Amino acid sequence: MSGWRPALRIAWRDALRHRGRSILVLVMISLPVLAVSATAIVIKTAEVSGLEGVDRTLGAADARVRTEGRGEILQAPDPGSGTWTQVGDVDADDPITEDDLRAVLGDDARLVPITSTWSRARVGERVVFLTTTGVDLADPLAAPLFALDSGHLPRTAGEAVVNQATLDRGLAMGDEVNVGGEQLTIVGVGRDATLRDEPLLLASADDLPSEAANVREWLVGAGPVTWSQVRELNGIGGVVTSRAVLADPPELPQALEDAAASDSGRNQAIAVIGLIVVMALIEVVLLAGPAFAVGARRHSRTLALIAASGGTPAQARRVILGSGVVLGLVASFVGLLLGGVLGWAVLPLAQRFDERWFGPFELPWPYLAAIVAFGLASAFLASVVPAYLASRQDVVAVLAGRRGDRSPRASTPVIGLVMLVLGIVASVYGALTSDSGDGGVWIAASAVISVLGMVLVVPVVVAAIARLSSRLPLTARYAARDAARHRTRTVPAVAAVAATVAGVVALGIANASDELENVRTYQAQAPMGSGYVSWAPEVLTGEELPDATAAWARIEEAVHRAAPDVRTTTWRGLDEPYDPHGYTSTMLESRGDRAAQEALDECCLRTLGAAIAVADSAAELGVQGPAADAIDAALSSGRAVVFTVSADLDGDVAVTQETWSADGDLAESRTSDAVPAAFIAWDGQDWGWAPSSSILPTVVADELGLDVTTTSLRLSGDLDEATETRIAEQVEGAAAGTYTYVERGYERAPYAFIVLLVLAVLAGVLMLGGTLTATFLALSDARPDLATLSAVGAAPRTRRRVAAAYALVIGFVGALLGAGVGFIPGVAISRPLTSVPITGAPEQGPFLDIPWLLIGVIVLALPLLTAAIVGLTARSRLPLVARLD
Amino acid sequence: MNAVLHLAAASRVHGEGATEVHALRGVTFRAHPGELVAVMGPSGSGKSTLLTLAGGLDAPTAGSVWIEGTDLATLDHAGRARMRRTSVGYVFQDFNLIPALTAAENVALPRELDGEKGKVARRLALTALEEVGIPDLADRFPDEMSGGQQQRVAIARAIVGERRLILADEPTGALDTDTGEEILRLLRARCDAGAAGVMVTHEARHAAWADRVVFLRDGVVVDETGADEPEALLVEESGR
Amino acid sequence: MSIRQAMLAILEQGPMYGYQLRAEFEQRTGETWPLNIGQVYTTLTRLERDGMVEVVESAAEDGSDRTHVSYRATESGRSEVSEWFATPVPRTQPPRDELAIKLAIAVTLPGVDVATIIQRQRSATMTSLQDYTRLKRTGRAANPEAPEDLAWSLVLDSLVFDAEAEVRWLDHCEARLRRAAADRPAASAHATPTATPETSDGVAR
Repeated sequence: MSGWRPALRIAWRDALRHRGRSILVLVMISLPVLAVSATAIVIKTAEVSGLEGVDRTLGAADARVRTEGRGEILQAPDPGSGTWTQVGDVDADDPITEDDLRAVLGDDARLVPITSTWSRARVGERVVFLTTTGVDLADPLAAPLFALDSGHLPRTAGEAVVNQATLDRGLAMGDEVNVGGEQLTIVGVGRDATLRDEPLLLASADDLPSEAANVREWLVGAGPVTWSQVRELNGIGGVVTSRAVLADPPELPQALEDAAASDSGRNQAIAVIGLIVVMALIEVVLLAGPAFAVGARRHSRTLALIAASGGTPAQARRVILGSGVVLGLVASFVGLLLGGVLGWAVLPLAQRFDERWFGPFELPWPYLAAIVAFGLASAFLASVVPAYLASRQDVVAVLAGRRGDRSPRASTPVIGLVMLVLGIVASVYGALTSDSGDGGVWIAASAVISVLGMVLVVPVVVAAIARLSSRLPLTARYAARDAARHRTRTVPAVAAVAATVAGVVALGIANASDELENVRTYQAQAPMGSGYVSWAPEVLTGEELPDATAAWARIEEAVHRAAPDVRTTTWRGLDEPYDPHGYTSTMLESRGDRAAQEALDECCLRTLGAAIAVADSAAELGVQGPAADAIDAALSSGRAVVFTVSADLDGDVAVTQETWSADGDLAESRTSDAVPAAFIAWDGQDWGWAPSSSILPTVVADELGLDVTTTSLRLSGDLDEATETRIAEQVEGAAAGTYTYVERGYERAPYAFIVLLVLAVLAGVLMLGGTLTATFLALSDARPDLATLSAVGAAPRTRRRVAAAYALVIGFVGALLGAGVGFIPGVAISRPLTSVPITGAPEQGPFLDIPWLLIGVIVLALPLLTAAIVGLTARSRLPLVARLD
Repeated sequence: MNAVLHLAAASRVHGEGATEVHALRGVTFRAHPGELVAVMGPSGSGKSTLLTLAGGLDAPTAGSVWIEGTDLATLDHAGRARMRRTSVGYVFQDFNLIPALTAAENVALPRELDGEKGKVARRLALTALEEVGIPDLADRFPDEMSGGQQQRVAIARAIVGERRLILADEPTGALDTDTGEEILRLLRARCDAGAAGVMVTHEARHAAWADRVVFLRDGVVVDETGADEPEALLVEESGR
Repeated sequence: MSIRQAMLAILEQGPMYGYQLRAEFEQRTGETWPLNIGQVYTTLTRLERDGMVEVVESAAEDGSDRTHVSYRATESGRSEVSEWFATPVPRTQPPRDELAIKLAIAVTLPGVDVATIIQRQRSATMTSLQDYTRLKRTGRAANPEAPEDLAWSLVLDSLVFDAEAEVRWLDHCEARLRRAAADRPAASAHATPTATPETSDGVAR
């Protein structure tokens, strides 16, 4: 017997004969293949590559040229994803003109100007954010960019078309919209080629000029634009997307490649993907392993005979490996096929979650081939260990009919322990160096090494459990010892459960630590139980500011209407009103020495209200406690109060005002007045946020002629959720742009609980799957023993009890081991996760919280539950002694 | 003396229609306490079926099976299992020991399945192992014993707790002559002590250890040697 | 023939007279093959003629003038015994087996129920086998102390094995007859419709 063909033939026939086992393996391998290939198809279809999206960006044009000024450009053939850079300086004052383009492209080139910007438009009370495109949609070059559904395209100036999303925001056909100063009437509705769900507006390029004079863009109709023409245009400063170049991209010199590549966070991403792939591989191999082990056992007599007749171990191995190859091939292709169908079916659902239109249906062959290879590899690997063991089996024992596996080599668990130690070391190293960026890779590696080391240690643990089982009742004792005798079948199942639990525990620890960080670093925005109402109206360029005093009066009245029992306090301060002509900013600068300036700057970066408050007593701002007296003293003596980190000083500050215009870089005017001030230390740790960075007494504000307005309305009293909602609604009705908030302390996001639930359910499902597999195989292996039990008088229920005992042994040992190992990456990863410093937080990381309840449930309750389910679903009739005469 | 085992016109048919197999046809069979009965016949004669019916592992398609005065048809699966735990002992040709349990645990199996506490069951098991002459093998696993020792353990399991009926299916099949004879000696001793034994065998020399030899052919009893009443058995010093 | 050598072997131990010889023989063989005293003397005479034994006259112990005639093994007698022990018993000529003859005749005669003959014989042989076995497990042979006990046990075993062999041969005959009976209807189905009622000639033996 040489070669693979007889081995494959045996494997094929064997697979057909043992349908149950084959289907089990098929499911276990094809499910991941199915899921991943469907995901890959959806993702790749969603991605719109340059070539796929060429009609969306170019319409019917041959090219699209964009420039921001004259200056050399370096670009990739497809500059769509930002793969172009400016080389050298840009002269914004001398932008490219149409003549420059015609010089390169030919005099008869047709150039259609196109602009794209964002705008805001007022719709009644609200302001809507619009993406606008200015182009002549009637021109054949631009026509494919927009598909009209009803109405008509803009024929004259002042007309615009929109998409459905815009109408959903409150506009209708025939409405007038003010966009960037232009009044446009909506005359049509349709679909944009690129964006699906964002509000859009299209009109002529004259109505929607580009945001800056030096930014220009054209659609070009001049015959195919070659790469050399692109390079010429690059030379004068134009970024060109050419249909011909996209269809047939040239070879890129290395410099361009480097410029085009973006490298941020690559290592981390690769590490994460690598970790997921390896863990998935380990899971599948461990889950499918027992099935192959049982197959190997069925063949063991044949293989022993082959060995006794002079066959080599390699030939024996091939029979089992052949089974892995056959099942792997079938499973991978079935998974691929079903994955393709699933991916195609799921596309409409997935499209709803993406605001861009998906590209054409795409089967990403390289990725799919890799996925099939993964499926094959996992099947092959799952069969390797049983094959290896089968070829080394004790021929004599097998021919004598003795059941059970050889005892393990003593070296394996030692290697396993070494790997565990290595894993711990790697995780510690990774945790400590996580700030430098590569720590994640180390932690991922440590997770893999630890899990593999644990797998090697499992046999010893199982054997130890068997030895300790003498005191257990009959079924448990039998299950434990039998599990230890058939290690090839038991170890992979226990390891699969352990690997799953390790993952869940690690994720659980990371999640719990993250939650702890959220709790401990929470910064209250108001004293507990109290709240506030703030007001920030949206104002467009050119609009007038609404009347603040009237608005606040309406707001306060609305609050009292909604919640008569709630007390309101008005906080005043210096606001920074937005003026059609610009805005004015006010700040306090220290006149004293540098120490004072630093003390001023560092303090109170976050405050409850406006930066500069206007008040005459501490009580007005709700400040009690040690600082209140000092504040009162300072304010009543006409001095400003400035909060600092530590020092209590006295000195002068300058109240500086700067006025900026709407679109300028430099301040247009600046005034500065000196004011005596008291520097008071504010202890952020104990007192929370300060009400403001500084306080001016009313007299001083009046003296300097500053604009004092109400900055917020503080609420106190009975503020339960219903009251809060009522207040919010009433107040929003009174004035648009309000924000109501009540401090209730840290509230856990609802999805956090869902995440934990999903983790627990996933762990349960995988644990159930692993134990069901192993128990199913164990019971079929144990038929002779069960028949003996029946003949000796065991009750019919005993089969159930034996099944439950098996499941309990596997589940419990696996969960215990896995929980232990899961600590290694879990604790390690909590460190980088929670050590990002958060400014102003009462505590800083790293935080570590271990979810003992989750671990307890997984280690104790889940195995019991799994055992119960297995026990209930096992057949209850013991096999009868069937002796054929 | 009442029969411990009584098959009354028991028949067993397997399959139906064209593939029908009449394993046993209307066989009437009795085993009394103190009596060892051998059942001989070629393959296909129904001797193993007779044993499975006698042990309650299978039900007859016609007729009835009585053990210690109880009709097995009136018992459900649980009741028959209880019968196997307490009244009937089985000895198989392939020993059928559970490899994952020690000798003592294997012997204690029927008692433990019946709810006996661990210590008590172990004591009974050790007693049985002493009876069969291998008390020192109590904590060894079946893999560590020879065929003869394993069969002794199997017999110990069949007699633990003073059972009244022992069913043996080719108990010496896998053993050499001398070991086989020792096994038969044990069975004989047990029957002399008051149990009823039914032994299926195809070896005439071993069947000769029985008080009665029943010949089965095609599911029917064709002949019997020895008397029905055990009092008629006389042991003579000198045989002629 | 073996009686001759057996007696010679016993005489090797010392001179004996006829009755003594018979008693010794029977005791050592468990009285399985009882001997006629006349048979003994005839054999002794033949042995003397062949020079294997010689007569020894001695006076009677009771004082009468009757002389007791004893026999003693000669040199050639002793060597004959040695050779007898050294030579295995040949199986060239099977002894006339009444059972084999009976069955052979029965199978060839039409109208004889051979199966019943076989079963009856088997039952009887089995009963004997049971008797031998009962003897084996009780009495002298169960716990042999003296060499004579062991000898008796071995002889008993030879009876047991012989009986077993007979039972096995009967099983075998029965199986072959059943097979032949199963083949015969097939053979007659192939034969022409004018087949004569079953003759036993065509039976394969």
